[in-house]
Amino acid sequence: MSNIIKGPSTRELMEQLAAEAGQLSMRDRRDFLRKGVAAVGGMAATTIAGGAIAKEINTANLPPNEPAWGKQLGHGVVEHPYGHPSKFEKHVVRRTVPWLTADSIASISMTPLQDLKGIITPNGLVFERYHGGVPQIPMEEHRLIIHGLVERPIIFTMEDLMRFPSVSQIKFIECPANGGMEWKGAQMEALQFTHGMLSCCEWTGVPLKVLLEEAGVKPEGKWILAEGADGSHMSRSIPLEKALDDTLVVYAQNGEMLRPEQGYPLRLLNPGWEGNTSIKWLRRLEVGDKPWYHREETSKYTDLMPDGRARKFTFVQETNSVITSPCPENPITKSGFIEIEGIAWSGRGKIKQVDVSFDGGVTWVPANLKGLVLDKALTRFSLVTKWDGQPWLLQSRAIDETGYVQPTLKQLRDVRGGNSIYHKNSIHTWKVAPNGGITNVQIT
Amino acid sequence: MFRSLKKSLLATTLGAALALTGTAAQAEKFGIGTTATAEEIAGWDIDIRPDGKGLPKGQGTVAEGEGLYEQFCATCHGLFGEGEGRWPVLAGGQDTLTEERPTKTVGSYWPYASTLYDYIRRAMPFTAPRSLTDEQVYHITAYVLYLNEIVEDDFVLTQDNLAKIEMPNQEGFFVDPRPDVKNSRCMKNCADPDKLNIAGTLRGITPVGHFVEGADAPAASHEAQMEQEAMKEKTRKASLRGEEVAAGGHGGASALSEAALAGKSTYEGACKVCHGSGLTGSPKFGDTDAWEPRIKQGMAVMVKHAIKGFSGETGVMPPKGGRIDLSDKQVEDAVAYMVESSQ
Repeated sequence: MSNIIKGPSTRELMEQLAAEAGQLSMRDRRDFLRKGVAAVGGMAATTIAGGAIAKEINTANLPPNEPAWGKQLGHGVVEHPYGHPSKFEKHVVRRTVPWLTADSIASISMTPLQDLKGIITPNGLVFERYHGGVPQIPMEEHRLIIHGLVERPIIFTMEDLMRFPSVSQIKFIECPANGGMEWKGAQMEALQFTHGMLSCCEWTGVPLKVLLEEAGVKPEGKWILAEGADGSHMSRSIPLEKALDDTLVVYAQNGEMLRPEQGYPLRLLNPGWEGNTSIKWLRRLEVGDKPWYHREETSKYTDLMPDGRARKFTFVQETNSVITSPCPENPITKSGFIEIEGIAWSGRGKIKQVDVSFDGGVTWVPANLKGLVLDKALTRFSLVTKWDGQPWLLQSRAIDETGYVQPTLKQLRDVRGGNSIYHKNSIHTWKVAPNGGITNVQIT
Repeated sequence: MFRSLKKSLLATTLGAALALTGTAAQAEKFGIGTTATAEEIAGWDIDIRPDGKGLPKGQGTVAEGEGLYEQFCATCHGLFGEGEGRWPVLAGGQDTLTEERPTKTVGSYWPYASTLYDYIRRAMPFTAPRSLTDEQVYHITAYVLYLNEIVEDDFVLTQDNLAKIEMPNQEGFFVDPRPDVKNSRCMKNCADPDKLNIAGTLRGITPVGHFVEGADAPAASHEAQMEQEAMKEKTRKASLRGEEVAAGGHGGASALSEAALAGKSTYEGACKVCHGSGLTGSPKFGDTDAWEPRIKQGMAVMVKHAIKGFSGETGVMPPKGGRIDLSDKQVEDAVAYMVESSQ
């Protein structure tokens, strides 16, 4: 618990922030807005109370002066045996929306997409979703049992699993509730909260197909129940076709062993499918002839339609995209040249094309895909243009290799209504004000 | 020949190897892992299916379930399944699925009774999963079905009749039909610019603001939110008393006693679920006003209530908060942590 300084009310805080924003130069605006967001996040309360809003620039460190750090020595090797980000990047953290859930133990946090580059999410910033908190499991005591309709039920140790030839694949993982707070209207003035239940890592492990062949699936086997070792014993039924197609049993992410938050020492990974099917702390896989209809595939993670009926087994995360710069956390700070950047992804395969609109979807311009374009991975797009204070309605629209075109919100609402919670993958709109500020709007 | 084939397969990539070996029946195995015994599997094989497969022997009654429900479940789910705070509502909500704000409960939404047994045995009670006996789970399942008016008060739920229970919304689900919408890659004149209806977070249909001036913006973590709420409450009460609030909150971790420091992890894992939010009248962590009258009773009384359980005017403290696995010492330390952080 940090010490609480007498904090202003939220309203006072916002008024103070707004007043001070008005006095800032455009150059400082971006930094200010970041701090403003952090302050509301309860992280910079002391800074606010101290009145230091805009970051002080020490001109003694600017040319032609020799900066302080060039006139002294820094710390040596292994000062930090496991390194961490620069202390000047403290605002780049996961955040949550507390009113979404009753408690932090069964809750979700979001990845700061607004601060990330490329397509890989650093391990410490991968969004979290727990149903019973994070268990601490010693690798030596973890076991995976495969049983049910198999020729030979097997218990694997982690050492066993790591003896199998390994594969490494870059795949996104996304909660189906990503964007779900905005079915009925724009709510969140932050990219982190509109799209942050999304991350992309290089995962290393064994194809589930290999393990199933080791056990020998009987011909009646059609479904697999995956179960976690944590207190929630999270369970999902997965069709055998998926398991034999591209499901992985992974123990590493981005080159190191899984983080506890991501299922250390072992998790399932169903590429392109809703994140909750990628059971973390995986302890058991049972082969059966029918699905189990457990809580997380009936009460939760089913999509309620306007007629009162609900879709079940809505596995695929359909094609989606969002502009990450500019966004509410990254307002436009300078006139002239600007690179519009964003990310696109599809649970059905590769991204083929992304278009950008500046006028709320009336006219579209093709953007460029840059860097790696991979199956079921984040793909970065870019469009270089100029901005001179025009009031833009910025949108991106992704198309995947199956030809599926990311839909409008109206198209989704017309079919699904406003109570389906999950799988909102519609075209997103950022409104650009003449001063470069960005707000979240919906066009209907 | 097979052996040499395998060698060459291992030398190539796994993907290619799988393509060559074909179906499971033909593949040569790696021979990794130990054959699981029936006993080993039985200990972890806890899943139940709608057809009743997996149900253990036993039975349960609504009458027995009532007491257990009140002891283990009501704190979060409410005495009648109405749900406390943001914890799940278990009962009611019939015929609301087409409404603007549907209430999805066991009775109004869940398609199978087996899910109830499975989930309670798998994950409940929230703070002590896998602590109930199979028979207790039968009792509680029967009671939750009763709360939903699916069974009568004299009902006896058994291994044999559970799968036969028809849930009201059993036919309410269908397999994902997506892709269900078809957009096209239009490039010009795709919409009428005069007819664009632009709704922001401040106007129109926005239910709750976030980072918006004037809105009651939440913090970005549960901890920060709790601090914000505690501070607000403190300020509100102080202003009612006409006091000036200069500084407040609880002391930093350094101010805590050894016992309190030891109790922090117990608090996080067992007590926070209720005391973190003030659920069911429990004194909320950090709320000095709520703790003050309790602290006046002395540590001995508070520790006794925490260990043995206590029913007060505002709420119920189950023995050890339902975590009978905790030692008395652990509970005592957790009380110390809460007290020192709330005075």
